[in-house]
Amino acid sequence: MTLLEGRKVSKSFGGVQALSEVDFTVEQGTIVGLIGPNGAGKTTLFNTVAGAFKPTGGRVIFDGKDITGLPANAICRKGMARTFQVTRPFGAMTCLENVMVAAINRHPEKPRAFIENSAHEKLSLVGLAEMEGFEALQLNVIQKKRLEMARALATEPKLLMLDEVLGGLNTQEISQAVEFIRSLRDKLGLTVLWIEHVMGAIMKAAERVIVLDQGRVLMAGTPAEVVNDPRVIQAYLGE
Amino acid sequence: MTGKKLILVSALILAGMCVLPLGLGIYPQHVLIVSLFYVMMASSWNLLAGYTGQVSFGHAAMAGIGAYTSGILAAKAGIDPWIGVCIGTVVAALLGLMLGALCLKMGGIYLSLTTLAFSQILHIVIVNEYGITRGTMGLQVPGLMAEYSKLGYYYIMLAAAVLMLIILYRMIHSNLGLNFRAVQNDETAAKSVGVKVLQVRVLAFTVASAMAGFAGGLYGHYLLLITPEIPSLDLQFYVLAMTVIGGMGSFIGPIVGAFALNILAEKIRDYGEFHVLVFGLIALVVARFAPNGLLGVWRKFRPAKTRPTAREERRSR
Repeated sequence: MTLLEGRKVSKSFGGVQALSEVDFTVEQGTIVGLIGPNGAGKTTLFNTVAGAFKPTGGRVIFDGKDITGLPANAICRKGMARTFQVTRPFGAMTCLENVMVAAINRHPEKPRAFIENSAHEKLSLVGLAEMEGFEALQLNVIQKKRLEMARALATEPKLLMLDEVLGGLNTQEISQAVEFIRSLRDKLGLTVLWIEHVMGAIMKAAERVIVLDQGRVLMAGTPAEVVNDPRVIQAYLGE
Repeated sequence: MTGKKLILVSALILAGMCVLPLGLGIYPQHVLIVSLFYVMMASSWNLLAGYTGQVSFGHAAMAGIGAYTSGILAAKAGIDPWIGVCIGTVVAALLGLMLGALCLKMGGIYLSLTTLAFSQILHIVIVNEYGITRGTMGLQVPGLMAEYSKLGYYYIMLAAAVLMLIILYRMIHSNLGLNFRAVQNDETAAKSVGVKVLQVRVLAFTVASAMAGFAGGLYGHYLLLITPEIPSLDLQFYVLAMTVIGGMGSFIGPIVGAFALNILAEKIRDYGEFHVLVFGLIALVVARFAPNGLLGVWRKFRPAKTRPTAREERRSR
């Protein structure tokens, strides 16, 4: 079953066409990598799908419903959560409070103790349990990325969209992170759409890869198909 | 502070506040009453500026709306001041709702400019609508009590301030308060986790405006003469200074700031025009050495590096 589908999604900023007629699908329960050279439009596609930007053309279908142009908070409630490439934690709030904000908007009727437990659980999941009383500003970049993952998970999404969560990690940490994201998918039944520059990780984790280049879909396929495609090699390395 | 300790400390302070005016003369009592008005103004403005990041310059204008609505109803239509204060609160809330909705998509300086314009327009209307407001002459209004008593007014203002602070405290520590702070910290991120940002902002605006209207209504009936000085920018910036110097975004900060600055203003009144200079100097010193206000200074010298969460508190009990 298709969970997320983009039909000719376009976005332009003034005269700059950041996305032109992007068609893509994300199947339920899969991990899909979104790759492409810098400036290809990956983060713009995230922002357009998740409601931070309104698309200038095309439609976005999520879980069988047309969500084109809905505000980000409404899309979140429908089950889409994301992290940010440049992290955006609630700096002056504690880690626990950061995650609680996500939890209360998923479960506005639940008592405070339930919300706190759920937030704590998500922080433990990403390995930040010890930091729960610290203000988010005090975290380093890697911890902030983890905090954003915990916050996204607390919205109890169907689709988790990750924007470069591996930046700054060493080889061993990368393979742990890949394992972690796979386990999230398996345990929580998530679908993952994942922008990443660390190609090895995407090749290992993803079942399908979408390649963007200059605002267009260059190709989509299995990791093996993608790495061997001359068009992809050309997009990355040039003529 | 944990729940029990907090209640105990608050109760002690409240008891102290109840006894405080008994031994004092008329003038110190007056200073305290005015201070309580400023506590309400600064604390409710803090909800906007400190907790949702909307720096409104229309807060004094809302107090003016409350005061003039109630005053005009009492002076021209003979409506009981208590009912008038309630109506004034509602009118201020409705105007806050409208102004909040108008400023919905505005952030930062644009919101400030729009509310500044609103405040100035209201001021001009009040000064010029002599027939209704009696302009700069001021509108004479009846008091809240049949017999004028400073002590009586003190307790009314104290009760009103305590009521407002309880509402604010509960709000800030509820889910809504978390949403408020999330919006202030990062609107985009707040939206991405499902916070209805526009709704939260308008709600904060409406509640804060209602509170200013309520405080203004009571204050007008205390002064017995409502002048355009209530909805003035002077008063607005005074409230701003109290909140910032006390500690914006903290619960106690505006309360401390309101008392400190209002009492200080009375002390330096003898210097005439120079009191503005002294105020400016204080603001400069605070901005340089205590950017988080007086509360920030206090927090700095507290040993604990992190604030314990409610969860940890529960565990340690």
